[in-house]
Amino acid sequence: MDVDQALKKAENLNASYVEVRYEDITKNHLELKDGVFSTFTEKRLRGYGIRVLANGAWGFATINSDKVEEGIESAYRMALAASRGIREKIELSPIEIVEDYVKSRMKIKPQDVSLDEKIERMKRLERNLKKTDEVKSTQIRYEDAHGKKIITTSEGMRIEFDVNYIFHYLWVTGLQGDKRGAVRNGMGFVDEGWEAFGKISMEELATKMIKKLRNQMNGVSSKRGEYPIVASPIVIGIIAHEALGHLAEADLTVNSPFKELIGKKIAPEYVSMSDRFVQKGFGNAKYDDEGTRVRDVHIIKNGILKEIMLNREYAKRWCMEPNGHARAENYTYPPIIRMRNTVFEPCDYSFEELLEGIKFGYYLADYRGGQAELNSAFQVGIQEGYVIRNGEIAEPIKDTSISGIAIESLKNISAIGKDFGIEYGICGKGQNAFVSSGGPHIRFDRSIVIGGKK
Amino acid sequence: MNLIKYGEKFFDEIEIEIFRKKEISAVAELNQISSTATRDLKGSIIRGIKDGKIGTYILDSSDEKSIKEGVEKAYKIALKNEKDENWHSLPEQQKYSKNKVNREIKSIREDYLVDSLVLSLKKVKDKKPEAIVVGAETGSVWEETEIHNSHGIDVSQNNAGTYFIMALSEKIGENVTPTIFDMDARRDANLAYDKVIDSTIKKVKNAENVVKAENGEFSILIEPFALGEILQFALYPAFSGERKVKGTSILADKINEKVMSDQITIEDNPFHKLSINTLIADDEGVATHRNIIIEKGVFRGFLWNTYWGNIASKESTGNGLRSFRTGSVGIGFHNMVISPGKKTMEDIIQEMKKGYIISSFQGAHSSNPDTGDIAAVANPAFYVEDGEIKGSTVFMVSGNIYNIMRNVAEVSREQKPIYAIARGIYPGVLFENVKIANVSK
Repeated sequence: MDVDQALKKAENLNASYVEVRYEDITKNHLELKDGVFSTFTEKRLRGYGIRVLANGAWGFATINSDKVEEGIESAYRMALAASRGIREKIELSPIEIVEDYVKSRMKIKPQDVSLDEKIERMKRLERNLKKTDEVKSTQIRYEDAHGKKIITTSEGMRIEFDVNYIFHYLWVTGLQGDKRGAVRNGMGFVDEGWEAFGKISMEELATKMIKKLRNQMNGVSSKRGEYPIVASPIVIGIIAHEALGHLAEADLTVNSPFKELIGKKIAPEYVSMSDRFVQKGFGNAKYDDEGTRVRDVHIIKNGILKEIMLNREYAKRWCMEPNGHARAENYTYPPIIRMRNTVFEPCDYSFEELLEGIKFGYYLADYRGGQAELNSAFQVGIQEGYVIRNGEIAEPIKDTSISGIAIESLKNISAIGKDFGIEYGICGKGQNAFVSSGGPHIRFDRSIVIGGKK
Repeated sequence: MNLIKYGEKFFDEIEIEIFRKKEISAVAELNQISSTATRDLKGSIIRGIKDGKIGTYILDSSDEKSIKEGVEKAYKIALKNEKDENWHSLPEQQKYSKNKVNREIKSIREDYLVDSLVLSLKKVKDKKPEAIVVGAETGSVWEETEIHNSHGIDVSQNNAGTYFIMALSEKIGENVTPTIFDMDARRDANLAYDKVIDSTIKKVKNAENVVKAENGEFSILIEPFALGEILQFALYPAFSGERKVKGTSILADKINEKVMSDQITIEDNPFHKLSINTLIADDEGVATHRNIIIEKGVFRGFLWNTYWGNIASKESTGNGLRSFRTGSVGIGFHNMVISPGKKTMEDIIQEMKKGYIISSFQGAHSSNPDTGDIAAVANPAFYVEDGEIKGSTVFMVSGNIYNIMRNVAEVSREQKPIYAIARGIYPGVLFENVKIANVSK
C-alpha cells in the first residue's frame, strides 16, 4: 500500500495529525587508518518514521518494511497510550501546506565522483600528514550520502528532498619522546558538492594540522582561572552553539534562564547572534522535517534576547510562528528542535585592536567538543590556543577547556571583530544533526574560566 | 547457513550479522507524558574478504533475497579496496557460555510503560511540587542477533533490558538549578522507580542553594555516572590493543606495572550480576569473557579483537565491537566493572571535612584520549563541609586521569549500572588533591 492510500485509510482513526517520513538513502563510509582502509562500506537506509498526534499526545513508530498502514496504526496506538498521561493537550501551530520538490544545489554530487578519486584524496592527506615523524597515527574518515526523503502529512503536505551531503573527519595523534598530542578537524557540505570539497588542498590541511599538533606537544600549560580571552570565529561559534544556542531551543528554553529574559537586554548593544542561513552552512535547508519553511532566527539583536528556535508544537505553546527548526537524524527518530547555523554577527574591530591592552590572557584558536547545561554553564574543549602577552600573541598552550555561565559571559563581551568564519560539526541531543557555528573574533574581559595544570 | 555458502561463491571469507531490535518507550516532558514510541528494526551487515581486500555492505533488511543482493554489493565494493597486508582471517568456531534473558521484556506493552511513568510523575509532584520534570523516559529493548562466518561461527543470542531516566530541575528566582538526573537499568522489568525519584528529588533540594567553589586542590567524590563519563573518554581508549600496536596508548609498555591506586580494579565483564549487556559473543562471533584490565592498580593487559589480536599474536579477548553506522569492527567493551570498596557513599560523605561531589561532567568528551589530560566541568556538583551537603556549584576539573586515579582515598560499597555513555557497573570514588577552578557565580 502506498503512503497516500495509507493516509486515506488513517482518516478513519481519531487522529488530529499523521506524518509519514520516508527515506531511501545510500551512504558510503570510508576510513583510512594508518595506511589501511579499515572501513570500506556502502549502506542503504530505507524506512519510515511515522508520527501521529491523537488525543493531544504523540505516538511514533519506525518501520523498515512497506507496511505503512500498520506503521500508522502502531503510532496511533502509541499516541492513545501516551494520551492517558496528558494534562495539557499538545496542539500544532498552523503552517503553509505545500507540495514541493527540493532539488540539491550541489553541482557535482558525491555519487558522480569515482571511488578512486575519493580514495586518492584520503591517501594524499595521509601522505602529507605522515611526512613528519611527529605524526604517530592518523584516522581519516569520509562519508557521503545520496537519496530521497519524502514528508507526507494528513494536512496535504508533500515535500520530496533530493538528499546529498559530504562529511569528512580527521584525527591525528602526535608523539615526540614523551610529548603527546591529538588534534581533530571536521568538514561538512550540503549545498556545495565535490566542486568545493574536491578543491580543498590536502597539503594545506595537513600543514595546518601538524602546526596545531606541534603547538600542543610543545606548548605551555595554561594557568587555571579567569583571564581576558579573545576567541576565534571557530571558538566563538561553539560558544554561540553550546552556551547560548541550546538555551534558545524552545524545548530547552522553558527550563532555562532564557525563559524569563525574552525581550530583555542580556548583552551590550553591539552583540547580535542568530541561527540563520550562511554560505556553506552545514545546517542549511529549505524546509524542516515537519515541512515548515526555514527562516532566520535573530536570537540576540543589539543585546536584546528576541527570538527562539521552534517547531510546530512549541510555536503553539509560545504563541509564535514556527521557524523551521524541527529536525530528525533519520527515519528512526522523531523530529525535535535543533539548531542549524548559529553565529555571532560581526562588528568593527580588527584582530590587533582586540588584543590591545591585554597584559596577560589567552587567544583561543580552535576547539575540540563542547557541552551546555540548562543553568547556562558551558564547556568548550580547546585544541589550539596561545598566550596573549602585552597585546601580542605569544607562546602556544597545551590542549585545555574553557567554561563559564553563558548569561554572565555575554555581559562581558568587550569588543567584536569585523571578520567572519564558520566551522562544521555534528550536534548530539539524543540524535545527531549537522550544524555550523561561527562568527567574528570576540573579546571577553571576564567570566570565562580556563582550565590548566598550573 | 545457505547465505554463507552463497557468499563463498564471491569471497575467500565472509561474515554475516543479522539483527532484529524492538524498542518501546514512553517519554515525559514538562511534568506530563508527551509521547510513546516503538521502533521495530532489522538489518544485516555483510563483511567479505577477497584476496585480502575487505568490503562491507549494510542494509535495513533481514530477508534472504536482500542479503544475497547485499553480498554481491559487498563483493563489488571489496574489489575496489586495496589489499590489507595485515589481514589474517576471520575467527574460528567457538565455545560459548550460556546467558539468561528475561523473555517477559519482549512482551512489555506501551500501557505498562505509560502507567509507570504517570505514577512516577505523580510521585514527584507529591514529594516536591516545585520540581519540574525536564524529561523522563522509561522503556524496554529486545535484541536478537545472529552471527555467521565461513569458518563455522554460527551463533544466535538475545539481549534484553529495561531502563528508567528521570531529569528534574527547579526554578530559583531568575535562575534554574542544573538538570539533576538519575537512572536505573536492569535485565528484568523490576526497575527501581522510587529509588530514582527519591535520589533526584534529594539532589534538587541540595541544588537549591548555590555556592561558589574555591580554587585549589580538594577531596572530590565522583559519583558513578560521572566516573563512567570521564573514564570512557580519558582512560578506556588506552586499553585498546590497536593503540598498543600503534604505540599511541600511554599504557603500551606498562603491562604488570602499577598505573593507579591499588584500590582500583577494572574488568570488562558482560556476565556481572548487574550487567544489562550479557552477550555470549562479540560482533565477530568470538566468545566473550571476563577480562581483568586493572587489578589492584596494576595494568594486566589490553582488549583485542581478531584483527589486531592477529597482528600482535594475541587471542581476541572477545572485544570486537561493530559500529552499526559504518560496519567496521573495532575494539570496545561490553560492560566495564569497577570493583566496590567497603564504605557506603553516605559514610564517605559524612567523613568529608571539606570537598565536593560530582554528579555529572560537562565536556568529558573533550578529554584527550592519547594523553589522558582532562579539563571538564563538574555540573551538577555539590559542596560538602563537615559531612553535610551545603549547596550546588559548578567548577572545572583539570589534570591527568592517571594522576587522578593514583590519588584514590575510598571506593564506595554501592555499585550502580550505567547504560548510557560508559556502559558498565560503577561505584562512587573519592579522590584526593584534585585541582579545581570555580565557574559558578
